[in-house]
Amino acid sequence: MNRSARGRALVLAGSALLLGACASAAPAPGPGGGPAPTRPGPRPAAYESEDFIVTFAQPGDTPDTLAARFLGGADKAWMIEDYTGLRAFSPGQEVVIPKRPWNPAGVTPGGYQIVPILTYHNLGEHAKGRLVLAAASFREQMQYLKTNGYRVVSLADFVEFTRLGRQLPQKAVVLTFDDGYRAFKDYAYPVLKDLGFTATLFIYTDWVGAGRGALTWNDLRALAADGFDIEAHTKTHADLRRAHGETDAQYARRMHAELEQPEELFNRNLGRRSQILAYPYGRWDEGLLPKVKEYGYVAAFSVRRQGNASFVRPLAGHRSQIYSEMTLDDFVKNLNVFQEENLR
Amino acid sequence: VTAGPRGVLAATVLSLALGGCAALTAPTEPGAGRAPIARDPLAARHRQQAEALERDGQLRRAAEEWKIVLTITPRDARAREALSALQAKIARTVAERIDEGRKALARGVQVEARRKFLAALALDPTSRAAFDALQSDTREVEFVTYTVRAGDTLSALAQRYYGDRSRSEVIWETNQLPPNPRLTPGTTLKIPEIPGVPFVHPEARRPAPAVAAVPTPDVPRPGPAPGPVPAAPGGKEEFTSEVNPLLAEAREALERSDYGDALGSVDKFLAGKPGDREGLTLKKQALYGQAKSQMDARQYRESIQSLILLTRLQPDYEDAPALLKQARARNIEQHYTQGVRFYREEKLKEAIAEWRVVLEMDPTHANARRNIDQAEKLLRGLEQRMKK
Repeated sequence: MNRSARGRALVLAGSALLLGACASAAPAPGPGGGPAPTRPGPRPAAYESEDFIVTFAQPGDTPDTLAARFLGGADKAWMIEDYTGLRAFSPGQEVVIPKRPWNPAGVTPGGYQIVPILTYHNLGEHAKGRLVLAAASFREQMQYLKTNGYRVVSLADFVEFTRLGRQLPQKAVVLTFDDGYRAFKDYAYPVLKDLGFTATLFIYTDWVGAGRGALTWNDLRALAADGFDIEAHTKTHADLRRAHGETDAQYARRMHAELEQPEELFNRNLGRRSQILAYPYGRWDEGLLPKVKEYGYVAAFSVRRQGNASFVRPLAGHRSQIYSEMTLDDFVKNLNVFQEENLR
Repeated sequence: VTAGPRGVLAATVLSLALGGCAALTAPTEPGAGRAPIARDPLAARHRQQAEALERDGQLRRAAEEWKIVLTITPRDARAREALSALQAKIARTVAERIDEGRKALARGVQVEARRKFLAALALDPTSRAAFDALQSDTREVEFVTYTVRAGDTLSALAQRYYGDRSRSEVIWETNQLPPNPRLTPGTTLKIPEIPGVPFVHPEARRPAPAVAAVPTPDVPRPGPAPGPVPAAPGGKEEFTSEVNPLLAEAREALERSDYGDALGSVDKFLAGKPGDREGLTLKKQALYGQAKSQMDARQYRESIQSLILLTRLQPDYEDAPALLKQARARNIEQHYTQGVRFYREEKLKEAIAEWRVVLEMDPTHANARRNIDQAEKLLRGLEQRMKK
């Protein structure tokens, strides 16, 4: 190395440090070791109040690492992404991190958040009819969610959202599986585990253990222990609306069977009751709502193909069914997460 | 081998000069002695943003910016005052909106009530009163009444109104139809708006449809005043004017966030129909979406271009002016940081070029100017030494 080059290196080493501080760039040199000497890594500098943390990204920082460092877990990365609108940071970049939820209703002057709840039924090696979805299509759809920044949240979190009790990520999506098909274990479970997604299974209790195509209570217990949510889909999967000519007494008996008996089975087999209901065939009417409430359900869902605002009536929630014949484009049409509306 | 006296000298000068600007952002350790002055420039940027947002009427975001200022300089009394004044203003406005909403409900004007409660929530997304009123007292969204004609199917209607055949389920559910219903000509159907789905109103002849054809951020939803009846008068709804295919394409592209495609189609449409309202609305939406996604992708220069086009069409579109300001600031920051990065990689000329770009955009950027001077001095020193 000749003299001047060395001298230059030294000069720059000294100045890089200072300039680095000046630009609020990271104190440590980039990967590969730039001219700046490595400083012993001090705790990242940050300003903190009860609402916000203001800090500066270090080399290699992502929303995940920042959330792990400042919010107690990478699962809070969405707060940083949603607040800053960024998914990547350059070293030294200022990052404002909200310490607590700032918009539980999901309403902004430009419109409001809506949460798609997707409904699946059976899966198989190959598609069959509308409701048996090919395993490969399912994987493709889940992968799409992951790749495109959607955040799968639990149905319980969604219900809290409808009570102004929990802010959800801007791109929150809920996954549900109706009836309780065994295929869930074979085809959906591995994909969901792989991607770290959770889901709710709505089961109708007459079907549980009823044949080779059905999940058993043992399966359901294992799934529940594994972080999946099991909820009610009545006893017999009958339309819950009052039938033409049904007397008060008849209807009351039927409601008891459909809404109460599953609860006894839930208690006995899973050690808890269900407070969330999926209406069979998605059918409900205003007359049904008081009944559902009376039996202790706090949220219930149809299959009306639209997303849910936080202020949706919890007993009249919407879900979008995913059919086997849908292309990926068709699938994506069910993923709108925002209704634009000028609310200023 | 030593660096030689000149090198040491250069380093000293540099450290002195740049030391001054280290105060720009170099934060102290949490809990360490707080010197408000040292952090002031960082806080100042947020203060400016707070003031700009407040001027722009974006009160909630302004309040958040004040809180960020106070996070950096907790003893800034002026910021504290500004925040509490703003919070009081927000509280007053929210109370007003809720009151207006309740009055609208009492008059039976659901649409207006819904809007007022939503506006209250937009200002204060934790407002229990607004939330409860919206959830419990305010009924469904708007709908149009459609009179069935021979040959109609739910899928075709869904395609026509929502651009999506599978939304027929919503019409089916809203009207509580039997499975596989046969539609009888002359009967009426409610066709509701679906949040998050553009409502393609086929009545293109009416310039301002009762239900916004596409959720347009710049056009407020119709109030109750002249009674925009969602139903077509006398059920004589006609579908003679089908949607222009270019517009439909643009809308579809917008829906899948393909803004380039949307702009392509809508520009083609506007070439044949300059000044068309619907076309311009779509164009603005596309430009806005494009600008935002470019911001997200950190393509600030491109975002600025989109926003300039947008503000030419409508200077006060949504938060476009604020976005433009933000994009410009981020663009400057990006070039400045890039300069620093080059500098640290010993690429002095490249660093100087980046900072010159900064100065072009912001001639008052003192740090860029100072850094250029230092880098040039350093460069001259090095060149002289090379000659020796």
